[in-house]
Amino acid sequence: MAKLTKALALAAASVFVLTACSTGTGGTASSAAAAGQLPATTIKILAPSYGDSSQADWQKIIDEFKKKEPNVTVELQIEAWDNFTDKVKARIQAKDYPDILNDNAFASEATAGLLYPINEVMSDSTLASIEPALLKNGLGTDGKQWAAPDIASARLMASNTDLLKKAGVTAPPKTWADLETAAAKVAATGVSGYGMPLGSEEAQVEASLWLWGAGGDWPQGDKLVANQPASVEAFTEMKKLIDAKSTQPDPGATNRQAVADLFDNGKLGMYVTHSGLMSVTRQKFPNIHYELSQIPSKDGTPVAFGVTDFILAFNNNDANRKQATKEFLDLFYSDPMYEGWYKGTGLLPVTTSMIAAGKASDTDNAAFYDALSYVKFLPVSNPQWDALKNALQGTAGTIAKDTPENVLSKIQAQVDAQG
Amino acid sequence: MTRPSAVTALRSDSARPRKRPRRSGVLTALPWVTPTLLLIAGVVIYPTILMFWTAFRKYNSYGIEQGSAGLNNFIGPAGAFTFPTVPWASVWTNTVVWVVVVVLLTLLLSLGLAQFLNKDFPGRKALRLIIILPWASSVVMTTTVFNYGLQTDVGLFNRLLVDTGILQTAYGFTKDPTSAFWVAVFVAIYVSLPFTTYTILAGLQSVPRDVLEAAHVDGAGAAQRYWQIVLPLLRPAIAAATLINIINVFNSLPILKILNETPGFNTGHTTTTLIFAYKSTLGPGVASALSIFNFFFCLVIIAVYLGIVKPTKEVQ
Repeated sequence: MAKLTKALALAAASVFVLTACSTGTGGTASSAAAAGQLPATTIKILAPSYGDSSQADWQKIIDEFKKKEPNVTVELQIEAWDNFTDKVKARIQAKDYPDILNDNAFASEATAGLLYPINEVMSDSTLASIEPALLKNGLGTDGKQWAAPDIASARLMASNTDLLKKAGVTAPPKTWADLETAAAKVAATGVSGYGMPLGSEEAQVEASLWLWGAGGDWPQGDKLVANQPASVEAFTEMKKLIDAKSTQPDPGATNRQAVADLFDNGKLGMYVTHSGLMSVTRQKFPNIHYELSQIPSKDGTPVAFGVTDFILAFNNNDANRKQATKEFLDLFYSDPMYEGWYKGTGLLPVTTSMIAAGKASDTDNAAFYDALSYVKFLPVSNPQWDALKNALQGTAGTIAKDTPENVLSKIQAQVDAQG
Repeated sequence: MTRPSAVTALRSDSARPRKRPRRSGVLTALPWVTPTLLLIAGVVIYPTILMFWTAFRKYNSYGIEQGSAGLNNFIGPAGAFTFPTVPWASVWTNTVVWVVVVVLLTLLLSLGLAQFLNKDFPGRKALRLIIILPWASSVVMTTTVFNYGLQTDVGLFNRLLVDTGILQTAYGFTKDPTSAFWVAVFVAIYVSLPFTTYTILAGLQSVPRDVLEAAHVDGAGAAQRYWQIVLPLLRPAIAAATLINIINVFNSLPILKILNETPGFNTGHTTTTLIFAYKSTLGPGVASALSIFNFFFCLVIIAVYLGIVKPTKEVQ
């Protein structure tokens, strides 16, 4: 009996300690705001990890912000890209909306009415500093600017020059026919020819690249259409490479990182890459010699893939938080802050001043900067995109064992079922 | 009584003579059972109610609630049972095969292992410790080790199979839904063995030696002794192990989820993994709708099992 009482007392005590801990962070509301400074409030940031330095890169901006606004507490949560969407969903379902979210999509939140239009939380001059062609990407189908891009990346094809030379391929392929021959030749030397990641992570990217290579695109009117002649053509060509065993094994269960690992270890001839992955190759795998070129298409027209990630601002119905968010974002996009932050991601900047500076100085990424002029973007602002993305991620990989027509009609059925 | 617990308190209460007023008995028991009741209410009843509620609400895939859904989460165009391209035939077969094969094979292997561990031999203690290992480490960790080992390019198991000539080239065991499913069956048996073996071993140790010796003297052979004395006496232990395994295996998510690397609605799903595939593509409403089915399926299995085997009777 005495033991039990003791245990209960201990349990009760630990509960008190826990609650005391959890109230500790929010309990600094009393200090009065000095003139010109914002009143005490807390803003929350949820952002993915682009690399090892992401936490520190955000923290630098937060420290600078704290110097200007000492009354505002900034809570930063950094999560890995794997399952990042699940983390976002968890916050939304718990109604704990981050004031600032860095993500690669915005349509679902915008449609659900959870966001501020981004021009309400950024000054006009900050918005004007963003490259207009990239800013357009954050426009919703309703014409409102729901998100502002914060990072861009272009994708091009990387070829391992040593492996290509060994296989007797003189230049990186530009057309599908060239790619077939080149990949087959490289595969004949005992490594994989072309890396095709159709796993859950990026099947939507790979599938889109091939569709664009065939001259098509997903949107038809305001609908997204998976089952169309151009996509059948694209999937047929992808299947051709898989059937010829010119790709890495099991494309349907491979993610881009796994393909990049193969490339970095000299076991893969060609794959579609971005500047972040290539900077890893340069720094950690100096023995891999590579060349960047346009992504092959049916007739040789250059294809490049563009991605922008976005800043979204959730509406927490709190004027103070909104004001603090606005000041934070204006600081975030200012040249001295933004330069350090974007460089930490290994990707390309979105402000006109930084793009100009990067083009002039960043020789490693020159090809990616050049590609920014002809990149195509995924239809992320379309509310149907989530359904199409999920369907592509789950089903595109089955072309290894099924006909392109069947696979595409399955994808179409999944999109249609979700309205 | 050295360790007072809610259960013993209840027992002594029910053993009291009937003449005493019942209410005071309930009141005496209340402080003892309240923590348990609160726990059950918090971790069993509340989530169940929430599951039913969620199943009839409309959500988008981000989990934002958008009003009532009626039966749409069950049989609407994007409902749990009507969403296109879900290979239902394999989902049903997999679910049944998963539970039956894993539970049966685990039980058979455990019977043998326990018999062996019950013998006296040098190093028995060490062996008993080693057999606990898969039980002591986390299922996710064990499964991840298997997953890494079976990778095509860097996997040690694949390397071993190729180097010993069993395989010509490395095989992507976890990249194909069907082979991934059978690898998962193997791993599930591996992690279920320790618990089952130890339950049966405990049962074996309670088989009285004198009865066995008497049978031996009377001329019963080894097989006869096993079938007619040991096995009937093991019945409570086997019953408890089987029931717990059925529930555990049916609800087991990590093994199948980690080992099946093929995305989407592939042929390697059981109803449990399908719930999670729905959760990320169609949202919590549809996932809950399928959970309700799983919930009842589990209840039915247990009811059937209780009806046929009557384990509670034997255990007491």
